[in-house]
Amino acid sequence: MPILSLQDVSKDYLTDGQPVHALKGLSLNVERGEFVALVGRSGCGKSTLLNLAGAMDFPTSGKVLLDGVSTSSLEDNGLTRLRRERVGFIFQSFQLLHTLTVFENVELPLLLAGKRNPREAARERLAWVELEGLGDRHPHQLSGGQMQRVAVARALIHSPSLLLADEPTGNLDTMTGNVILELLKRLAREQNTATIVATHSLEAASLANTLVRLRDGKIEELTRR
Amino acid sequence: MPRFLLFYRLMVRPLLREPLRTLLTILAIALGVAVVLAIALAGDAATGSFRSSMETLAGENELEVLTSGGVPEYVVGTLATLAYSIRVSPRIEDYAVITDTKKSLPLIGLDLVAEGSAYAQSAFQKTAESQTQSAQVFNQVGDADDIWVGSSVGYRTSDRVELLINDRVRKYTVRGVYPDSNGNESAIVMDLAAAQHALGRYGRVDRILLKVPETPSLGDWQLRLRTVLPAGVEVRLRGTATNENRRMLAAFRWNLRLLSYISLIVGAFLIYNTISVSVVRRRPEIGIVRSLGASRGVILSAFLGEAACLGLAGALIGLPLGRLMATGAVRLMAATVESLYVSSRPGAIELNGACVLLALAIGVGVAVASSYSPAREASRVSPVEAMARGRREYDARVHKARDLWLALVLGLAAAAASRAPAVAGKPLLGYLAAILLVAASALAMPAFVDALTSVASNLLDKVFGVEAMLASRTLRASLRRTSVLVGALSTAIAMMTAVGIMVGSFRQTVVLWMSDQLPADLYLRPAGFAAADRHPTISSGVAEEVAKLPGVAAVERLRAYEISYEDMPATLASADLNVRRSHGNSDFFSGRPREQVFAELRDSNAVIVSEPFTYKHHLKAGDSLTLSLGATQASFRIADVYYDYSSERGSILMDRQTMLRFLPDPAPSNVAIYVSPDSQLEIVRAEIEKATAGHRVLLFSNRDLRAEAMRIFDRTFAITYALEAVAIIVAVMGIAGALLALVIDRRRELGLLRFFGAATWQVRKLILIEASLLGLLANLAGLALGFVLSLILIYVVNKQSFGWTIRFHWPVEILFGALTVVYGVTVLAGLYPAQVAVRLNPIEVIHEE
Ligand SMILES: Nc1ncnc2c1ncn2[C@@H]1O[C@H](COP(=O)(O)OP(=O)(O)OP(=O)(O)O)[C@@H](O)[C@H]1O
Ligand SMILES: [Mg+2]
Repeated sequence: MPILSLQDVSKDYLTDGQPVHALKGLSLNVERGEFVALVGRSGCGKSTLLNLAGAMDFPTSGKVLLDGVSTSSLEDNGLTRLRRERVGFIFQSFQLLHTLTVFENVELPLLLAGKRNPREAARERLAWVELEGLGDRHPHQLSGGQMQRVAVARALIHSPSLLLADEPTGNLDTMTGNVILELLKRLAREQNTATIVATHSLEAASLANTLVRLRDGKIEELTRR
Repeated sequence: MPRFLLFYRLMVRPLLREPLRTLLTILAIALGVAVVLAIALAGDAATGSFRSSMETLAGENELEVLTSGGVPEYVVGTLATLAYSIRVSPRIEDYAVITDTKKSLPLIGLDLVAEGSAYAQSAFQKTAESQTQSAQVFNQVGDADDIWVGSSVGYRTSDRVELLINDRVRKYTVRGVYPDSNGNESAIVMDLAAAQHALGRYGRVDRILLKVPETPSLGDWQLRLRTVLPAGVEVRLRGTATNENRRMLAAFRWNLRLLSYISLIVGAFLIYNTISVSVVRRRPEIGIVRSLGASRGVILSAFLGEAACLGLAGALIGLPLGRLMATGAVRLMAATVESLYVSSRPGAIELNGACVLLALAIGVGVAVASSYSPAREASRVSPVEAMARGRREYDARVHKARDLWLALVLGLAAAAASRAPAVAGKPLLGYLAAILLVAASALAMPAFVDALTSVASNLLDKVFGVEAMLASRTLRASLRRTSVLVGALSTAIAMMTAVGIMVGSFRQTVVLWMSDQLPADLYLRPAGFAAADRHPTISSGVAEEVAKLPGVAAVERLRAYEISYEDMPATLASADLNVRRSHGNSDFFSGRPREQVFAELRDSNAVIVSEPFTYKHHLKAGDSLTLSLGATQASFRIADVYYDYSSERGSILMDRQTMLRFLPDPAPSNVAIYVSPDSQLEIVRAEIEKATAGHRVLLFSNRDLRAEAMRIFDRTFAITYALEAVAIIVAVMGIAGALLALVIDRRRELGLLRFFGAATWQVRKLILIEASLLGLLANLAGLALGFVLSLILIYVVNKQSFGWTIRFHWPVEILFGALTVVYGVTVLAGLYPAQVAVRLNPIEVIHEE
């Protein structure tokens, strides 16, 4: 069974009474361990797709199945649990909490899920992203690349089966961006985590097992390698 | 014009975008302004425009002749037969209660034969028409049971009216009705002789009013008349009593007025916070506007203008609100004035131009003053840095250590100020000390908040989980904002605590004092209306009858007169000192037992005086004072000073026999009855009731009397509690507004939490924990500050304004209750912001950045 399954999904937004069709009848299956690059022009619906995949939003029509469960069928509590157990998010602008240390940022999802003593897990994830020893720093004491690696560690802290990254390299220089992409790819393989990266970077596209090109809310091209 | 457009776009529009928060800020100012205005208006109505009912009936006479205990009637003759054309109007002045309506009215006895029409003309010169009417009304000589009443009382000629005068009820016939246009001057008028008879005041009049020719001056007339008057009898400008009363009430009004400023201080904190938030939020914009050519002055005036707008809006709402509150305040104040100082009827509340200006000035002034510091900071923003770094780092910049040192300096200055003496009878430096302490605590707040949140953060984390950790981190991260909020709420709490402790200590002191002061088993007093300056009497002979009853061990007769001493009202009293039982504590400054002091008073010109009396007149034990008693003047030695908490007016107490030598009227004002130990109280009580059946007297048990005294005490402080409640409401509104701002400023973070698996209840819990942390910090700081302030209130402000020795006492239950309520309300104030936080759309807020 695919970890993520979009079945004929459409998403409309209403702006000033006018519907905007962000996604138009789109279907896609993503398997565990698969590394998907999501590309396309600005405004083609990449972020929208990721939000639906992460159960942060619901499709206007069609179904989003996360590990076989339809997100539309769940209440807020169920969605929260689904997110806590299955999904990790990475954002373009890192989105670390500045009042927390690196350790605390990484631990946050586990703490929110009510887990005790998450420090060991955090230490391990920081080792994965090669940031051992920086755990007690505050985000403003890190470089952009380091910050994004902290964000990766945070997204992986609860061993999600689906990792969603919205332009994770958008705020980084090409070199650093590539390092992050390599890291994501490696971790996806090692942890058997399905990863979807929305990106403008050709590098990312070339790394992916699967390339999905969107255009006007539809899949224009789907290439599996 | 373009300036205004810019101001609107950059300053006003953001305010309109967050209507609720803006409204809360405006309401906070409005409440502050309203309270100040209400107290000012009510003060004027209840005391400031105060003229005793008697004064409004005094007509156009310029001088008055009077003395303690009444002017001998022969003085009227002396004055009338002088070779000057002086109009002499002798008066009996007291109060009567209409038994049907229970309404208490001034009772005036005047010589109707001589001056019936003249009185009417001089006293009631409303309209020409009413003058002639009045003239006719009094144009007939009546019988001993004839009275004339003001038309607003509602009787018609030849109605029969039952009046309660002292302890007797008599029927009178309405002989005429005179016009009293606005109701304030209603009175019952009877012939002088009839009044003397009704009050048992034979051979004396209470006051002689004089209308003298225009030359020479009034001062010269006073000198001239003094030579013909007996030693004890004084001639002075009419209306002097009004000024005396006003002076007596000055401290009361002053303290109340200052209390009314608490809400305003709290409001100032909140304005400071609002403007600070708006500066922090708009830092990038400020940078842009600056780089586009706006000068520092423009930025400064923009933010000051923002504050002024909020202040103006607040003042405009505060005006009608204050007028509304004044109605309630007048009632509370009038009750206090009546039971503690002087009988008066509150005047009308007048919202005049000066009040409107005051409100506007206060609203705008406080807003501009408290926003000056953040506005100046805004103007100092360097354009490049503002655009580059944004708001985050700015928020953390607080000079903790420097401010702590400053706080220490202010604290020391406060300590010094609290030791200074009163200035012109007002505890100005005491108040300065209080203000310095509030400022010191505001400065120490960042260090306090920082230290406590860092301790609490670890602790809370363990007990309340990750939400608590996030909450304490947030509060600590925006240290400045948190400090201002805690400062505002803790100031309100501190004031509440301080006044609570002061009143609680005062109450406890009074309770203890009363158990010494009210040793008798039963108390008898006339049913006629009594007040601090009204002492109706029981017919002489009643006490002696009671004393003969079986089961009555002893009676103690107390007689009180309203007198004027050194241009201040005071109470002169006498008692059967040999009767008073001894008890454990001494009532005296010297610490001597009662018997010893009383023995000194017996058969000698020695008196004891109350603590407030010594304070008002700068006297101490061993000094002597001169009293005018009837026609004589006599010198008395102060044997000792006694604690007295029954009224702020000073009191002088002498032995009954001593007083009778000067003022022979034997009727007591009230009687304390001691029941023999082997008799049953209820049986004795029934006996007494039977024996006094012909008189309108009230018999109180010891317990009733104490309960009554405490009821009056609590009513006296009702207005204080009301003022504190408003200050707390203002502070809590500020907390709600500030939490709202905090939620809005942190929406990205709150949205993010949802991405990482936070449930909605966790977001709600986070905000509520923030609210409760703020509440906790404010309660701790407020309690500490309040304790110190209470010491200043008890030992400096109270002592210097009223001259009372109050023993410190923690009113634990009340404080605990009040603080719990405040804490609960603070947490509740977080509910709406928490709801806003929950409703945020995570995708949108993440996207905004
Ligand atoms: N909350 C919203 N309300 C209305 N329209 C929206 C909303 N969010 C997105 N859209 C519209 O939906 C379409 C898809 O937006 P989306 O953010 O998914 O694009 P994207 O592919 O992520 O673009 P980019 O590469 O620029 O991030 C766009 O036309 C956008 O304007
Ligand atoms: Mg996007």
